Amino acid sequence: MTPSLLRPDQPLRLVDTYPPSAAARQAIIRVEDLSIVFDAPSGQVIAVDRVSLAVAQGEFVSIVGPSGCGKSTLLNAMAGLERPFGGQVLMAGEAMRKPRPEIGMVFQQPHLFPWKSVRRNIAHGPRALGKPKAEALRIADGLIEMIGLTRFASAYPHTLSGGMQQRVAIARALANQPSVLLMDEPFGALDAQTRAVMQDNLLELRERINATIVFVTHDIDEAILLSDRVLIMSAGPGRILRDLQVSLPRPRTSAIVAEAAYLALKRDCLDLIRSEGRRAFEQMEIKT
Amino acid sequence: MSVGRRSSATERLSVLVAVLSVPAFTGMWELVARSGIVNTVLFPPPSTVAVAVLEWIRSGQFFADLMASLARVAAGFAIGAAGGIVLGILTGRFRLVSSLLSPLFHILRPIPPIAFVPIVILWFGLSETGKLFLVVWGVFFTVWLATHIGVQKVDRGLIRAAQMLGTPQPQMLSEIVLLGALPYITVGLRTAVSISFYTLVAAELAGAFAGIVYRIEIAQQNMQTGQVMGGLAALGLLSFVADRSFAILAERAVWWR
Ligand SMILES: Nc1ncnc2c1ncn2[C@@H]1O[C@H](COP(=O)(O)OP(=O)(O)OP(=O)(O)O)[C@@H](O)[C@H]1O
Ligand SMILES: [Mg+2]
Repeated sequence: MTPSLLRPDQPLRLVDTYPPSAAARQAIIRVEDLSIVFDAPSGQVIAVDRVSLAVAQGEFVSIVGPSGCGKSTLLNAMAGLERPFGGQVLMAGEAMRKPRPEIGMVFQQPHLFPWKSVRRNIAHGPRALGKPKAEALRIADGLIEMIGLTRFASAYPHTLSGGMQQRVAIARALANQPSVLLMDEPFGALDAQTRAVMQDNLLELRERINATIVFVTHDIDEAILLSDRVLIMSAGPGRILRDLQVSLPRPRTSAIVAEAAYLALKRDCLDLIRSEGRRAFEQMEIKT
Repeated sequence: MSVGRRSSATERLSVLVAVLSVPAFTGMWELVARSGIVNTVLFPPPSTVAVAVLEWIRSGQFFADLMASLARVAAGFAIGAAGGIVLGILTGRFRLVSSLLSPLFHILRPIPPIAFVPIVILWFGLSETGKLFLVVWGVFFTVWLATHIGVQKVDRGLIRAAQMLGTPQPQMLSEIVLLGALPYITVGLRTAVSISFYTLVAAELAGAFAGIVYRIEIAQQNMQTGQVMGGLAALGLLSFVADRSFAILAERAVWWR
């Protein structure tokens, strides 16, 4: 039996905290009334619909929602890669108009540079920011060790499995020591064991670098395990349906998923997601 | 089993046929030319062609002609390709540059370079500049279009990943965009190799003082049909070698595959 991480005197709380007025004051990320619209052949698609949220310095926030609800689009907008149709994204009080190196991004696909070895892919960021080659490679080597790919340091991306590529993408984003890390289903392509290891790595890393993390996932276990808050998005057009505080004590490990209190929290989340998912599916049926 | 054996026998036969193909046709050509049914002045046998080629080489003119032609092709290719790649990256990446240049390039591109010979003679006379101009012209548009399309096909995710990592604009263009478009660019460059030889022919026919095509033309005026055919063979061999070596080079250029 693994010892319980939940002490009985700390009851599990499920609090709807939106708008997070207290957190908003010290928020490093503020999304204000953000709408993103795409021009598609079939007409305009509202991918994100008047979303507001705030993430405090050092906070770990997960975004969960049905496929196609606009999670990636929302994250891209936070990264400065998507022009708002309405509203704005403020990073440390400044409007995001273009990407900034202090904001790291792990995309849903690895997007590694195919002409660079693993080592040089990871060293790309530090080099781009003007660090000397030796230092950039030293940073890369440390991160390669962390993701457990030392043997593949000089391999080219196409020779790696999807999961290995995604680990390289994570290391590449970390190489610039970002203060905000945006992660779009980073562990989606990993097998269960590697995924658990990467989750523990991420938790441990977060204690160390004190980065603010916004994490998109389909996996509710993963969201609860990692996060301080879980945002549940509605089916498209994407809006934030619920903002759930995860008041489980830290440090946490994957063992937490067996706790009864945890399971209650998970059941609530799943019910919400399931009803939203059904709604999304029905909407799609009507549209087509 | 028997199917496998039969197919390997067929394979061996086809290799044998392939090896014998050129000697067989040359032998037939020799026989027909010597049989008296054709005029050997207009249709000399391969042996006469070989003698003409040997004489061409021994006189030292072959080397001078080869160098003159090669220099034109190489310089024209280098300038045209460099210009095509640089402008292709700019028009492919920046809407405004594309709006400015693409309409013009699309009007000029379909005009066969050979059609420019008269105006090139007016502008540059029989100088080397005029010949260079023709080859550059032919190479440039092919390489430009291939690069322009290649740049637009570069995986958007790669560009976004590079942006997120703080890649400065010069590095973005010279590394991410250039290498991302490289598979397309090499295809364009390879087409441009044969185009540079087409335009070389036009350039030397328009008037030159040395060169393989120039030699063919002189031989034609002197009714040295053997020399004309030898010149054609040399030109064919030269452009074949150029194309093959470029294909090998191109395979190496996309080194990460
Ligand atoms: N470049 C684009 N052009 C047009 N429509 C787009 C574009 N990108 C996304 N969309 C649309 O916006 C909506 C949201 O897409 P998005 O990728 O953000 O969803 P998601 O929540 O990340 O989905 P998933 O969980 O499957 O990754 C979808 O309806 C999609 O079709
Ligand atoms: Mg997505």
